[in-house]
Amino acid sequence: MKKLLAGLLTICTYLAAFIYFFPLLWMFITGFKNEGEAVIMPPSIFFSPTLDNYKIVWGSGIGTFLGNSAIIVVISTILSLILGVSAAYALSMFRMKKADDVLFWFISTKMLPAVGVIIPVYIIFKKLGLLDSHFALIILYTAMNIPLAVWMMRSFFNDIPYEIIESTQVDGATGLQGFFKVTLPLVKPGVISTGLLCFVFAWNEFLFGVNLTYTDSSTMPVFMASFMTQEGLFWGKMSAVATTAVLPSIILGWFTQKQLVQGLTMGAVKG
Amino acid sequence: MKSIELNSASKFQSSSRKASASPIKRLLWPSIIFVALVTQIPFLVTIYYSFLDWNLMRPDKGAKFVWFANFKAIFTGAEFYTVLGNTFILTACTLLLCLVFGLGLALLMNRDFLGKGLLRTIFVAPFFVMPAVSGIIWKTAILNPNFGITAYFAGLMGQDAVDFLGSYPLQTIIALVSWQWIPFFMLIILAGLQSVPKDAMEAGMIDGASIFQRFIYVVLPHLLRYIEVAMLLGLLFIMQTFGEIYVTTSGGPGYSSTNLPFYVYRVGFKGWDIGGASAIGVVIVIITLLLLKYLFKFLRRTFRGELS
Repeated sequence: MKKLLAGLLTICTYLAAFIYFFPLLWMFITGFKNEGEAVIMPPSIFFSPTLDNYKIVWGSGIGTFLGNSAIIVVISTILSLILGVSAAYALSMFRMKKADDVLFWFISTKMLPAVGVIIPVYIIFKKLGLLDSHFALIILYTAMNIPLAVWMMRSFFNDIPYEIIESTQVDGATGLQGFFKVTLPLVKPGVISTGLLCFVFAWNEFLFGVNLTYTDSSTMPVFMASFMTQEGLFWGKMSAVATTAVLPSIILGWFTQKQLVQGLTMGAVKG
Repeated sequence: MKSIELNSASKFQSSSRKASASPIKRLLWPSIIFVALVTQIPFLVTIYYSFLDWNLMRPDKGAKFVWFANFKAIFTGAEFYTVLGNTFILTACTLLLCLVFGLGLALLMNRDFLGKGLLRTIFVAPFFVMPAVSGIIWKTAILNPNFGITAYFAGLMGQDAVDFLGSYPLQTIIALVSWQWIPFFMLIILAGLQSVPKDAMEAGMIDGASIFQRFIYVVLPHLLRYIEVAMLLGLLFIMQTFGEIYVTTSGGPGYSSTNLPFYVYRVGFKGWDIGGASAIGVVIVIITLLLLKYLFKFLRRTFRGELS
């Protein structure tokens, strides 16, 4: 009886997973259908897959937008890691009331809505002639991800036994040498997952992207939105573009899910 | 007793950390300055702009200082209250759905069965999909009244296809945003379930508590902290929903699916009313601050880990 119940629950879980994932699965499949097949009723499950959609959208300059996204996201991720890791290290070395205040301040900047600053940010970049530039988004995404990086990295640093850090200093190495030789390698998995998470958030960001770029520097989400208005009827091509756009963040996201939870709940639940 | 020992140990640690770390303190400043420059200074400018009568479509008129005229216009217009209501409904309903389904999925996943890791990976995927794309998939593949999946099922049952986004725009967006955030709730709650102290569970079992009783008296109190974390982060992010609305309904029909962030976009980047949009931005920040002030005690507790 108990076994039967467990089996039933497992089947329910599989079914729920299938339904939950279905929209993404359907998008992925539709990307390999020709345009007629994509909108046919009833929907076709058996069809001869074609790469035509991918060939067309890849030939039509989607590379530019992928490139924009890649440049902006990679640079901003590296910057937020450099700034975030060093701040988190300092915070973790100073476990006192003030450090908590600083951490809380970082988190609170993340809580204030982005629309509270978007108008002046737009005007300032416009006056500087930096609208539609990589630079504008790099700056914004870096600032957006620093609090996250600080919060997650602090909990990874806090996990290192203090004796280890202390021993690096007894040996006569300066704080910085000890940091690079001993401490940093110990938190390497944390740095990697924090970096991946910053990447995912920046890759998916839409509000700043859509308002501060037009053509030259548009990122993938912005391109997706305009593609939708122009060629929303071509669902086959749309699916191919959408699959291309979401694949990097889904795959990288999968790698980070454990550390994401660990970083968020350790920071919040254990302190 | 144990916690007292731990406390004194960490006190000892912090004082010795302090002694050796003064040059390291400087590592904090670059990020503080950077974040302050990008997020705090512009907000001060937003406050200044909110007092200006300034429309980019009318460069001839320039910017004029009008004190609280923009705020007056917002609070006397009917749209603001619709938008405020929408934001509240969107956030509250989404959070509730996320909590219920997130908890449900977490309980389903908190068992041992074949393919558990794979299924978790599958459930998590929507959380990492960019909002613009999830909006597009739902709008076309699932909900399109001509060739969407729902239209197909409606046909199977002999019903007319429903134009969900046209007829129930806000409800549809709630479903869509929940779809994205349920996995996040599931992950956090699952982490909570997996860290339930084993000895407490065993003690409950020995005392003859039923599964249900053990859930209420042992698991739930432990889970509360995790649920708080998920709700708090969820609240802050879901309140800022923008991309999903942009690609699905554009806030329409009328203002029926416009939330506060999208309202700023409509006034600022569609109407180019810089003063008005800034004023709404200020109002949003004030609302958020009030909310935070209300949650402040609870927040500090949570983020400082004083709960454990």
